[in-house]
Order: sequence, then C-alpha cells, then structure tokens
Amino acid sequence: MKITEEVRISDNGFVFNSRTGDSFNVNPTGLELTKLIAQGHDFDTIKSLFLEKYELDDLTFEKDFYEFIALIKHHQITSQEDPLDFK
Amino acid sequence: MSKTKITIAVTGLNNTDNPGPGVPVIRSLKESTEFEVRIIGLVYETLEPGIYMEGLCDRIFQIPYPSAGSDELIDRIEEIHRREPFDVLIPNFDAELFSFMKNEDRLLKSGIHTFLPTIKQFQERDKDKLPEYGEKYGIKVPASINLGSQNQISEIKDKFEYPVMVKGKFYDAYTAYNTEQVKQSFNKVSAKWGLPVIIQEFVKGTEVNVIALGDGQGNTIAAVPMRKQYITDKGKAWGGITLSDDKMLEITRSLIRQTKWKGGMELELIKTVKGEYYLIEINPRIPAWVYLAVGAGQNIPEALVKLALGQEVAPMESYAFGKMFVRYSYDIIVDLEKFETIAMNGEI
Repeated sequence: MKITEEVRISDNGFVFNSRTGDSFNVNPTGLELTKLIAQGHDFDTIKSLFLEKYELDDLTFEKDFYEFIALIKHHQITSQEDPLDFK
Repeated sequence: MSKTKITIAVTGLNNTDNPGPGVPVIRSLKESTEFEVRIIGLVYETLEPGIYMEGLCDRIFQIPYPSAGSDELIDRIEEIHRREPFDVLIPNFDAELFSFMKNEDRLLKSGIHTFLPTIKQFQERDKDKLPEYGEKYGIKVPASINLGSQNQISEIKDKFEYPVMVKGKFYDAYTAYNTEQVKQSFNKVSAKWGLPVIIQEFVKGTEVNVIALGDGQGNTIAAVPMRKQYITDKGKAWGGITLSDDKMLEITRSLIRQTKWKGGMELELIKTVKGEYYLIEINPRIPAWVYLAVGAGQNIPEALVKLALGQEVAPMESYAFGKMFVRYSYDIIVDLEKFETIAMNGEI
C-alpha cells in the first residue's frame, strides 16, 4: 500500500487529494499513521512503533489500524493492489 | 514591454445566482500582461449587475435578445461598433452564439473579430445529439431520449430506471424520481427552452468539469480541470477547486484534436466510483468559473483574444492544482439616475 502521489499531507493534519479535490482533517494519531505509511513502513514496523509509544494491545491496534486503512482507501488517499497485502 | 491597447465587447454581465461569464471574462482581460483593455459591456437586461460594478466597463449598451431576430441583434452590434469601435467580441450566452456564428463573416467585414466554434461543431454537441456525439468521438455518455411531447413520458420506464435527468435544450436540468416529477420538469423546461426535452440516464458519481480553449486546428491551447465544491440549488458552482487529473485532460485533448474545436468550451463530466468518466454536456463557450483558470495560471480570455486577432498562441501546459474559488454576493448601492440612463437610453 502506498499514499497516492497526488495526495498532499500537511503537518497540521490537513490531507488534500488533488486528483479528486477532496480534503480531510486527520487527528494527530491519524497523521502519524499516514506519515508512516507514506514513508513506506510495513505493518509490523508501524505496529511495533505504536505499541512502544502508546499504551495499547495488539488486537486494539490491528482493529483500529485496519479501520483507518479502509477509510483512507475509500477516500482514494491510498492505493493497494491486494486488500490483504499491506506493505 | 508596453501593452497593446485594445477594445473588447463582452456579453453576459448577469452576475446573478445563475451567473453569466461576462464579469469574470472582463476581470481576466484586465489582468492581461499583453493588452490594455477598454471594455464595452453588452447587456440584455437593465439589472445585469455588471452594469453597476465600478471600473468594470467603459461603456454599456443594451442589445436585443436573439429571439427578436438575428438581423436585429447584428444590426445593433454594428451600430454600437460604428459609435464605439471595438476589435473583438466575446459572446457568453449559449442562446446568442448561433446568431454570432452565423454572422461571423459579416462581423469580420465590419472589423469585429470573434473566435467561435463552427456551426457544425456547435450543433453536433447539442444535448439532444449527445449519444451520437459520444459514439463518434469515442467518449462515454449517459443514454438519453428526446421527448417531443408529454405523451412520450410513458416511454421512460421501458428504457431507464429512476431517477432520470430532465434537461432543456440550452439550460436547466432537474432530477426526477418518478413519472409525476418528470411531467412537472417537462412543463418547466419546455415552457422556457422549447422542445425537445432531453431525458438522460442518471449516472451516479462526482461532477467534474474542464474549461478548455481549442485553436480550431486540433490543438488544445488551455485546459484546467475543476470540481465543484459548493453547488447552488440551480446546480451552479459557488466554490470549486482545480484538480490534477490526467485522464480529464486526456479526454479534453482527444475531443479537441478530433473535432478541431475552435473557441472556449466547458466539458461537464461525471466521474463514477469506478473511475470512469461520462460526458454529460459540452458548453460551447467560456464558463462562469473561468477566473479560477486564470488564478491557476491560464488566462484563457487573453489567449482567446489573441487567437481572434490571428496571433499565434503556444499551448499552456501547466496550471496550479488545489487552487480554489469561492463566490460571494455583494450589494452595490446604485443611484436611480444610472438605472434611468440604461433603461431610457439603452446605454451608459
């Protein structure tokens, strides 16, 4: 999965997709996740970074992570060939 | 570099909730780096806001509606030209274009330059011929039928699923969810714009638009895609944003290349969730949101004037995406004398 090249992410959490004209506000956690994805980190790396930094368990992270991924994919912020293959 | 002094006549000063492109066209021309423009505003109605906007037009003249007859309109244009000579005429209404296209040579003989589509280009993109147009130029269009009378409304249910779009030949479009609503819209549209009334398949998706300028040789001189962000109840953009969408540009360039489109145009497209584009309409003139294209780096009215004068114009390839426009309403206080002058004398 990667962030579509037309997407611009500002440090304050404003996400703009210049292909669709849509814009979104993401909260600090969402921004952190989006940036990690944009940097090309894989699922395991992101998970371990989050578990280290925040007080949360594996299951909660996975549930929230995939919910967030589904949301940003729906809004065409990311492109993903295989829905099960997160890289 | 000193600017070339030029006088340009512009119609469509009705900057209302259904805005004509005249005012933004004039703003764009005033920002030209090559021309120092003098503007002759041509109006149909005495309450067109452009008449009263300070510093917009140097002179204003009232002209008769094209429905009064082409000759009457052109005679008036020539009379105005004799009194206040102008170099280029930019018409901005669909309904008046035919008269100006038909009289292009006559106007040129009087020294009035235009840059309009040919009658063939204009007529083949008529809304009631869109399916043939799509097939000819290889672009997806929604299925449609033309209704010549109310009796044909019953045919809709055999061909389409509701909702459907009910459209006038020139303007107006309504979404109808059942036969009753089609009847109501049919009456509204036919009373205003005549027959046929077009019933178009409803394509679900996001409406996106491209403003473009063709040089008449198949080259795209300018093209900027936009998405409406705020739409009025008349379906007009009250806010919009430029997009970075190569597919939309490709569709535009292909269409201009094949049709050798001459003049300004607006493509209205629906982008479906699958990423397919359906052409729903081609407006054969500069649209009212043209100033967004200027803000994004392509001064289309300036380029159109150069083409009208027979000058070479290099295609504009780049523009800023993510540029927005937000329209607003504004009250101008007008002295009665000004209204009286235009109402009684037909000019200011």
